Amino acid sequence: MNDLGKKLARLAFEERGADFLLAMREEHGNVAPAMVSKGEDVGDVRLEVPYQLVTILENIYPWISKGKIAIITRRCDEKALAELAKRKYVDDKRIIKIGLACTEEQIERCRCEDPVPSHVDVGEPHAAVKGDELSARLAKMSQEDRLAFWVGQYKKCNKCFGCTLTCPVCFCDDDCVLEERTFVAEPSIPPGLSFHMVRSYHMIDKCIECGECERACPAEIPLLTMRKLLAKDMKEVFKFAPGDEKTVSPLNTTLEGELMGDECDEC
Amino acid sequence: MSVRHVLTTCPYCGTGCNFFLQVVDGRLTSVVPCKTDEISLGRLCIKGYNAHAFVQHADRLMHPMIREGGQLRNASWDQALDKIVRKLKAIKEKHGPDSIAMLASAKCTNEENYLFQKLARAVIGTNNVDHCARLCHASTVTGLLHSFGSGAMTNTIPEFDNADCIFVTGSNTLEAHPIIGSRMLRAKEKGAKIIVVDPRDTPLSRISHLYLSQRPGTDIAWINGMVKVIIDEGLVNEGFVKTRTTAFEELKEAVKDYTPEKVERTTGIPKEKLIEAARIYAKADKAMLAYAMGITQHSNGTDIVKGLANLAMVAGHIGKESTGVNPLRGQCNVQGACDSGGLPNLYPGYQRVDDEAVRAKFEKAWGVSLPAKPGLTLTSAINEAASGRLKAMVIFGENVMISDPDLNHVEEAVKKLEFLVVSDIFLTETAQLADVVLPAACYAEKDGTFTNTDRAIRVLRKAVDAPGEARADWVIACDLGRKFGSNGFGFSSPAKIMAEMTTVTPIFGGISYEKIDSKVVRWPCPAKDHPGTRILHTQKFTRGLGLFAPVQHAPPAEVVSEEYPFILTTGRNLFQYHTGTMTRRSPKLEREAPEPYVEINRGDAKRLGIGDGERVMVSSRRGSITLKARVTERIIPGTVFIPFHYAEAAANRLTNAALDPISKIPEFKVCAAKVAKA
Repeated sequence: MNDLGKKLARLAFEERGADFLLAMREEHGNVAPAMVSKGEDVGDVRLEVPYQLVTILENIYPWISKGKIAIITRRCDEKALAELAKRKYVDDKRIIKIGLACTEEQIERCRCEDPVPSHVDVGEPHAAVKGDELSARLAKMSQEDRLAFWVGQYKKCNKCFGCTLTCPVCFCDDDCVLEERTFVAEPSIPPGLSFHMVRSYHMIDKCIECGECERACPAEIPLLTMRKLLAKDMKEVFKFAPGDEKTVSPLNTTLEGELMGDECDEC
Repeated sequence: MSVRHVLTTCPYCGTGCNFFLQVVDGRLTSVVPCKTDEISLGRLCIKGYNAHAFVQHADRLMHPMIREGGQLRNASWDQALDKIVRKLKAIKEKHGPDSIAMLASAKCTNEENYLFQKLARAVIGTNNVDHCARLCHASTVTGLLHSFGSGAMTNTIPEFDNADCIFVTGSNTLEAHPIIGSRMLRAKEKGAKIIVVDPRDTPLSRISHLYLSQRPGTDIAWINGMVKVIIDEGLVNEGFVKTRTTAFEELKEAVKDYTPEKVERTTGIPKEKLIEAARIYAKADKAMLAYAMGITQHSNGTDIVKGLANLAMVAGHIGKESTGVNPLRGQCNVQGACDSGGLPNLYPGYQRVDDEAVRAKFEKAWGVSLPAKPGLTLTSAINEAASGRLKAMVIFGENVMISDPDLNHVEEAVKKLEFLVVSDIFLTETAQLADVVLPAACYAEKDGTFTNTDRAIRVLRKAVDAPGEARADWVIACDLGRKFGSNGFGFSSPAKIMAEMTTVTPIFGGISYEKIDSKVVRWPCPAKDHPGTRILHTQKFTRGLGLFAPVQHAPPAEVVSEEYPFILTTGRNLFQYHTGTMTRRSPKLEREAPEPYVEINRGDAKRLGIGDGERVMVSSRRGSITLKARVTERIIPGTVFIPFHYAEAAANRLTNAALDPISKIPEFKVCAAKVAKA
């Protein structure tokens, strides 16, 4: 167990009463996600590799019926947890956050404008990055060129669905209607713009800009930039940003006179 | 409550991506990419993300089975193994050891393949051991062995990132090797030129700079054409040709008639495109050539591979970073099954069985006398079975009843066998015909190693227990060896098997489990302190000088006729894998490509009155299948494509078993066919 491992074990198990710790550690010359039970060796913890631990938590959470889980939480993870808790996918009371401040390099890579968790337990806080270089470049382009840029990018998609599988706030998983024929025609690779566009809009009130979709994309499509552009619209139009447990998505609210559920017979 | 993330190697294509299997209380819940993996960089394809889905499927074989009164019935391991040993001993006694053949497996580990060939050679006493490399890259092994002295990928997967030109032919890389394809996309973003030569429009050809579409079966013509352009335009790397190669004059003579005009008539590739491709490739500072089944699966596959070697050597694109001739191997351990000696003429490490000194070494190591005569190839074994000379086959993890050419013939041959043993994870089409079926553990249930396409030894780590009584194939091989009375099978772990293999296999000489546990090591790795070899042929070729081979275009074994006017070509799609035993039991993969189809050009379809999605009958001289038509621009007129994954309309009912004379690879890529509304 390295010093970081010892520190995390103390924080999680001794000070905050966790039964499990979800972190990353060195295994076989690589960095691996690791779920450690109280009393087990935490190992040589390494925090510089950005595994999306909330996605991993989400996968295993249904199998863990009791006990408190401590999880390494960057600012974006904190926001993802808020979105999950809000929708009752996880019970907030069972989650113990161990705040991790991202390195300058990670902040740079995510073009992150909000990098510091509410409580820092590990890492040194660093300043946010202002703006996304690609967004700025796109803003200067004509609409046709912008469209051509995105069409060219999405043309590289090879249908791995890694963007949905690794996303911490993409929770429908096995029942994802987006992967069905309506949006992704069977014979087509790439899947066509409808998949990407519908997904972008579907995530608009949940995406916490962690950038995991972009890191997971074998085609290196700048998915985080697309998210950031949509988040900007969301902020401007609805004054809403995901990641706060107390706020309600404007997409979940209804307008006056709007028909509810079975009152609507249009479909 | 236990949650584990077990680092292991993907069981699909030969890229060798590592990922974590997530295990919650013995249940496989998902696949998590490994972000620090040098090969995958934490990215996976759809097959990788779903590699957990078939493992704990209800169809898994749980118990050994013996055929009694025509039916397969559950039996104990002792009953099954005793029956195998008794029957094989009797057949050996009566008909000699060469009446028995064993199939090793590109889905099994290096350690298991080492044991399979040891079982055939040292226990049964025959070199009749082969596996499905015969069907995919046999011609690479023979072709590149001739030209360079080594039949493997010369460079490595990460090097694609930094190439200036990537020349891809006969490889639908983004579908068949998606994560290698993603490296190509990456290189393109950095400014590399991508050239694709393929009769089918593929996801990669669609984003390429230059796409050349040739008539199937005309590869040597365009390859020689490119070589001629390079010579005529003074683009030959003179220094390289002078110091590193031999027989350049013979090559010059061989290609002199392949003018761009003539090549255009033969191949259908416009001469301007051919010239441009030759210029881009030859002028590039670092050009990587990659190819797959579209090159190898021809009745002159060995010659086509030699042609590509000529092309790389003329331009001097070999022996340096981000260059080379790079055959992309299609299965998780097809490279390793060859490395470990699952071949009828070669011991582990490509050492010839007819070399007396080598044989003496193995005889000493194994303490038995060994047969000198090279054994039967997989394709020849089927023919020998059909003629009644081969009496028994022991098949580990191969499904010849879907994967081999001319299935009606294969079925006839397999049914004629006196005794058939199949070890597999599901009751495959082949296992259904067996006399004894053994339930095997799959990749997630055992330790071991795979060699990926770029010669890296990748580690498998056991994540979950095998279902029921299923056992790992290395355990089964040890059990069989012991029951035969051999004392060379007392291994307690795959690490111990590897330890023996390294003592007789120079290219693996420095490999140990300790070393590869935390490092990517590529063979040749001859000594304990050797770091492994990334790039082959840097100072000299394995054979000394690179040998130019004067190869000539020849028509395919079967050409179109009035009755069979289409060229049928076969291959994979992104979602299914080989005979579908694993992917068709993975719901998300099956959902993406649930049924067989034939791709037919829009013009051809219109002429025949076939609409998109309509059922058609495709026939060749050997059989007929009925399936859906996909009317598309993806394929050139006069050619149809069928993926070979689907048992219900098996493309290999139609394919031609014509063999390349040297490598014995069948011509999966060209046969004559007709299409009619069903």
